Amino acid sequence: MKRNFLIALLAIMLTVPSFVFAAGQGEAKSPGEVEVRFSTIWVGADTKSGPVKELVDEFNAANAGKIKVIIEENPDPDAYRSKINTMLGSGSAPDVFSMNPDATAFEFYKSDVLMDFTDELKGDWANSFVEGAVSSATIDGRTKSLPFEMGYTPIWYNMDIFNAAGVSEIPATFDEFWDAAEKIKAAGYVPTSQMTGGTNAWTSMLWYCHILNAVGGPNVWEKDFATDPVFVEAAALLNRMYQDGNTTIDAVGGDAGVSGGHFLAGKTAMFINGPWYIGRVQSEAPDVFDATVIGPGPGAKYSNGQVGFPQSNLVAANTNDPAKKEAVLSFLKWMTKPENAARVSQASGAMLAVKTPGVEGNRLQNQFNDAIGEAAFLQTHFQFNFATDVMAEFGQALAKMAAGRATPEEFIAQIASKIR
Amino acid sequence: MQNKNGKMIFLFLLPVLILFITFFIYPLLFVIVTSFSKWNGFTPPEFIALGNYKYLFGDENFRLSLKNNIVWAMVLGFVQVPLACIMAMVLARKPKGWKFLRTVYFLPNVISQVALAMMWTAIYNAQNGVLNALLNLVGLDHLTNNWLGNMDTAFAAVIFQQVFYIGYFMIVILASRLSIPDSYYEAAEIDGASILQQEFHITIPMLKPILITTITLALAYGMRHFESTFLMTGGGPAHVTSVMGIMLYRNMQALRYGEGNAIGATLVIFGGITIGLIRYFLTKNNED
Repeated sequence: MKRNFLIALLAIMLTVPSFVFAAGQGEAKSPGEVEVRFSTIWVGADTKSGPVKELVDEFNAANAGKIKVIIEENPDPDAYRSKINTMLGSGSAPDVFSMNPDATAFEFYKSDVLMDFTDELKGDWANSFVEGAVSSATIDGRTKSLPFEMGYTPIWYNMDIFNAAGVSEIPATFDEFWDAAEKIKAAGYVPTSQMTGGTNAWTSMLWYCHILNAVGGPNVWEKDFATDPVFVEAAALLNRMYQDGNTTIDAVGGDAGVSGGHFLAGKTAMFINGPWYIGRVQSEAPDVFDATVIGPGPGAKYSNGQVGFPQSNLVAANTNDPAKKEAVLSFLKWMTKPENAARVSQASGAMLAVKTPGVEGNRLQNQFNDAIGEAAFLQTHFQFNFATDVMAEFGQALAKMAAGRATPEEFIAQIASKIR
Repeated sequence: MQNKNGKMIFLFLLPVLILFITFFIYPLLFVIVTSFSKWNGFTPPEFIALGNYKYLFGDENFRLSLKNNIVWAMVLGFVQVPLACIMAMVLARKPKGWKFLRTVYFLPNVISQVALAMMWTAIYNAQNGVLNALLNLVGLDHLTNNWLGNMDTAFAAVIFQQVFYIGYFMIVILASRLSIPDSYYEAAEIDGASILQQEFHITIPMLKPILITTITLALAYGMRHFESTFLMTGGGPAHVTSVMGIMLYRNMQALRYGEGNAIGATLVIFGGITIGLIRYFLTKNNED
């Protein structure tokens, strides 16, 4: 009996420590060194991965024995977002991370889980950001994230396809757009890249924003989405882009790989994405890169509007440890130093919310800058203005409308039903 | 002596019991309690009684997701398991190359669901997919389709790719089938029973307990199905392939944890009822 009891006790003793000691495994650090965990999606194939790693390595070398930044790699943006949300909710967020600044992300501003930069963000540090960037990350006077990357998404036109179709100019109006589309189809190409899949139907959502710019003009997001007819009008135009061969047959249900893939393959004439895609087009489809011209979407009541929005902000978890806070601030100041940001921009093609002196872009990067600089107005995208579940509904409703099972009015109503 | 044995059993069970309460019972109760609240995950929950449930059951997409989960459970339980059973019965007869076939059928179970989903997405691709290419090759080009983008075919396409991964259940059933003594079949053969009669009158009755177990497991997989649908369609197009797991995930992403937990609680309750009812009907004759 005593033997049995000892066996039972041994079983318990073997089980419990394995759980206790499983936690707390980590990399060794020098005594007195503050460890900063930097969880990021800028790793692997991301065009910013190289310069970001270099900056982290240089920061660690300059602060050897005092601060050590450890990169935690998260190459999947959707999984990253879920992970960060969960970690913030459970009070175990990484020391530094990034977030897409949208309505859902700004919910975290209501709590004290994020570090508040308001008091530190003064003088040279505040001046290192482009105009208006800090205010876009400030709510009720508090700045709890640092604008880092901006997203500008003009239209990409493959002029080889336009020329093959006998169209020499990019369409300035929707009449010209539909006329060009017919000629492009007659020449054996597909006019637009579209997609209803992914978490946000990215390409088509951006087409919708460009159409809204044209029919609704500046400040369109101040209108009531559920009732203002401008949103239905834009939906009808987007729907037409899905009909009669104006997009690829796999656009419904397709993801970013589908819409981008057709443009890279030289099958579609018009596409939308941000400057971060330039490097990929240049390396994977040099002919398409050479043929591409960046410009505004077709105009209607308004013309030459562009779509621009904060793409990712740097964020830090709140902490009561003064040494940790100082280390985090030191690292963030390093990352947002104009000359360091310029290296990230130069290497990746990304357009940053930090001033980037001396960056020399390639032909398309310069065209991006020109398109944004010459825009009559700049407007944020759908995703910036609504919560993620509303955004997710956009693609689902679009698939239904594209299949002919919902009218543009029903498309708007379906999305509006998710706005709470 | 009996009292001492009871203490010993309790001591042996204690570690698992602690883990079960910590990682299952407590989270389950937490999910149920917070499902009655409006909660974003980091500020205190606000009690709203049945508010989340009223919203969800009024939502057409939620009802569709619930229905899809039940369809998944039925297909896995009553199509996949019977297929696995048939294959196990064939392999148990040890035809030439049966060990090789056993490995081949089990192989997909050791491959990541992500890889399989990506492979099927490529197969179904409307523009460059193998399926449409094959249809074109054999002159059935009128049947080519955007399999995952067409609202009429997407759900069937996602289910179809899963049904044929019978390896796991086949191995479980095969192990049980191989434990049936050969003498039963030899006696039946002497009595003139055909192979089909042997399978119906010996194998299936003898396998009944393991069949009930595998059907229960398959139903549970179906009720909580998420991965391949999420990876292949994200619940689209127009929610036709959506399941409750995807709705739960979307709510969590939108920081609607109260609503997400209401979906989780519904999933547990409906799953329990569906599986309980089917187990009741399957085991009813045994108890009679």
